[in-house]
Amino acid sequence: MSLSDNEFIFTLSILLLLAGAIAAIVFSRKHKAANIISNCFCIGASALGAVSVIRHLLDGGGIKQVFTFTSNIPLIEISLRYDNLSSYFLLILFVLTFAVSIYSIGYISHYYGKRAVGVFNFLYCSFILSMMMVMLAGNLITFFIAWELMSVTSYFLVVFEHEKSENVKAGTVYIIMTHLGAAFIMAALMIMYALTGESMIIGSNGLFADIPEAFKNLCFIFFILGFGTKAGIIPFHIWLPKAHPAASSNISALMSGFMIKTAIYGILRFTLGCFGVSEVWWGTTILVLGIIAAVLGVAYALMEHNIKRLLAYHSIENIGIIFIGLGIGFLALSKGNSFVAGIAIAAALFHTMNHALFKGGLFLGAGSIQYSTNTKDIEQLGGLIKKMPLTAIFMLCFSLAISAIVPFNGFVSEWLTYQSIFAFLSEGSLGMDLIIILSAAALAFAGALAAVCFVKLFGISFLGLPRSESAKAAKEVPVTMLSGMGILAALCLAFGLFPRLVLKVIAAVTSEIAGLSLLENISNSTIPICSGISIGNNRMSMAALLVVIVVLVVAAIIGVRLTGGKGRSRGFGTWDCGFVEINERMQYTATGFSKPIRIVFRLLYRPYRKLTVKGEIPEYFPDKMEYKVGTVSIFEKYIYDVIIRWLQRFSRRVKYTVQTGSIHMYLSYILVTVIALMLYGRLF
Amino acid sequence: MTTYMDIISIFILITSFALVASKKITSYIKAFRIQSALLAMALAVMGYFHFVESGRIDTLVLCALIIALKVVYFPKLLNKTYDRVEHKVEKDFFMNIPMLILLCSGIVIFVYFIISGIGSFGNEDVTMQVVNMVSVVLIGVFFMITRKKAIGQIVGFLVVENGIFGAVMFGAEGMPLIVDIGIFIDLITGILIMGLMVFKINDLFDSINTNKLRRLKG
Repeated sequence: MSLSDNEFIFTLSILLLLAGAIAAIVFSRKHKAANIISNCFCIGASALGAVSVIRHLLDGGGIKQVFTFTSNIPLIEISLRYDNLSSYFLLILFVLTFAVSIYSIGYISHYYGKRAVGVFNFLYCSFILSMMMVMLAGNLITFFIAWELMSVTSYFLVVFEHEKSENVKAGTVYIIMTHLGAAFIMAALMIMYALTGESMIIGSNGLFADIPEAFKNLCFIFFILGFGTKAGIIPFHIWLPKAHPAASSNISALMSGFMIKTAIYGILRFTLGCFGVSEVWWGTTILVLGIIAAVLGVAYALMEHNIKRLLAYHSIENIGIIFIGLGIGFLALSKGNSFVAGIAIAAALFHTMNHALFKGGLFLGAGSIQYSTNTKDIEQLGGLIKKMPLTAIFMLCFSLAISAIVPFNGFVSEWLTYQSIFAFLSEGSLGMDLIIILSAAALAFAGALAAVCFVKLFGISFLGLPRSESAKAAKEVPVTMLSGMGILAALCLAFGLFPRLVLKVIAAVTSEIAGLSLLENISNSTIPICSGISIGNNRMSMAALLVVIVVLVVAAIIGVRLTGGKGRSRGFGTWDCGFVEINERMQYTATGFSKPIRIVFRLLYRPYRKLTVKGEIPEYFPDKMEYKVGTVSIFEKYIYDVIIRWLQRFSRRVKYTVQTGSIHMYLSYILVTVIALMLYGRLF
Repeated sequence: MTTYMDIISIFILITSFALVASKKITSYIKAFRIQSALLAMALAVMGYFHFVESGRIDTLVLCALIIALKVVYFPKLLNKTYDRVEHKVEKDFFMNIPMLILLCSGIVIFVYFIISGIGSFGNEDVTMQVVNMVSVVLIGVFFMITRKKAIGQIVGFLVVENGIFGAVMFGAEGMPLIVDIGIFIDLITGILIMGLMVFKINDLFDSINTNKLRRLKG
């Protein structure tokens, strides 16, 4: 029991989180104290936890027991343990919570005196704990309990600002979707237990691999449906763009940064870890789902002007990119190509980490904007770069990272995904090759649209002139919020420049989960350590690229100075066309910026325009005109609305035929059931 | 003793047929009272043997409870309730009586078919008694379905309880006393609440015909 003991540090971090949750309740009368104390506990817990899992992974890993509780009730056994895969995901969680908790100290201050800060922080700590438990769950029952706990605590956090009816509605959609998903997961877990009698998932005896193929396939379908709902795979994504804007920003950062990744963990743990990949169509399914999510996610993001909903759609896109990596990995495994499988799964894992960093950061940035301007609508913003310079720099970093631009981390993981795609091309048959080429095209397409989208986000909200009074009055956010974002931005840059640091950790995961070696395949002695990656004949080194970029930028500045002269000033603005001044109404709007894309993809968006004119004789003397442009979500209209209408019709019919209100009918249902059960018992 | 128990169980079954065949509410209550008395008789004999063999008196206590509650108190309560709510005589059942009797006979045959497949109860002698008692349970539920008035449902419920109690008594020589007392307390509460509800229904609909409760549905 000392600080050099890894498990002890880990247990300490769990206890600190519990203490944070309790402290939040104890100090709930004093809002400021509750917030600061509970967040400090979270910061401490995540720092300790991160240290512990990093040491665990670098020491070579293995399975570590944290806590076991055995009860007299059969099958009810709580077992918390971790292996390399869990440790890697826990590392992501700890890094993210570390930054988000620092951020929350400042961010939650706008709740002081208005809301139950103690309850909020209690839920915040429990949410982190429940996500930890999902990663730590050693057996099937613990996994399911933790999974449900995570859903329920996040539901409470989504509806925390419950006086707004759209938040409650978002919460309802979320809880229904997440429970539908959980039902599929539960069915699959029960099938697994029923066929093997084995319940350990971390450190199992390998009995799951002997399940008959047909049942494995069934479980796989259930897992894709269940975990896909949590991950926000299209068409199960409808809760995601609703729930993220409803939750407060630090929660959105956790939900988008980590909670949806628990689905990736689940798929890896159960299909790869427990079953082992044997079927080709598993990989193809994941790949196709990934392509759809990546392209449609970013396409829908382009149409959004609510900054948090835009980011939520980008989460769908990034889950799609992770799925593409996983799909290639699964395909390669089923064909026995361990070289490509290692790279592809590593790419997926790396992108999981990266997405947590930059998407967490982006949501924190969105929270900062909301904190100082009180709006989430980017059409109301503008010119924030002068008011909030540091936030603007951090947001720019995150935007570059998510658009996969050198030298940030998003580039590395997408580059790895591309490399795995190209390396796998020569392997497959013609039909397979088509899908793989399509996935490369989809990845490129999604990347380009993401860049457009973040040009829009950054350009409209930070550049130009303020479009509203609140944007004019914006101020830089407190230092805790800035440092929360700053840590994530620094990590985005660091992991971009030195990707081998992360890949070294990932190598421990891939070798454990599928016996794939990674580091030997990507290292190259000619490129500086930690920075370069080399796959076959393709090499890249971020540090070298950075040097090139810096040289180019400096050369450009010098060139401009030399040719254009220096110190020349102009009396008039560039585009003011003889007007006295340029005002904010002359600027490009976000709607205008995305119009070309809306026209090109009108089949997908179904854009509509509506002009309402009011007045006594509206044709000639209009008092008021309203012009509205919008898009229709085809998934909600053609899938969910149809299902809901069908359900309503069904329940109405049940009300008139089965639930008639007659006691005699109800009693006869009981009698018929008893007789049917007796017959069943007699005959079977 | 087995013969004696067989005969009593047959009589209990016959009383439940009598219940189904009776037209007036007062005659249901009478049939229920006779059924409970028969149950108490069986218990008294069993209790006597228990007392002689091992000095246990719990079965006798149970017998006294049955007499006090099911033979005296509940029928009195039901009669009082009936006196206070309604004196109209109207057709109280959905099907005619010969049809009901035929269906009840069908139930007994069905139960015999089911129970005979279960195998042994440890003691082959009790099979017939258990068949009779399970039939009483199902006939009780059937009775509740076919009667329109609320008191019919209460009596049917009590008959179901009698059947379950009898099945346990004949099949396994009774449960621990504490369990039985718990069930009786439940029963008293249930009957009191149902008695109150009968008044409520009578107030609301001017009748104790439960068929009219349909109107409560939103």
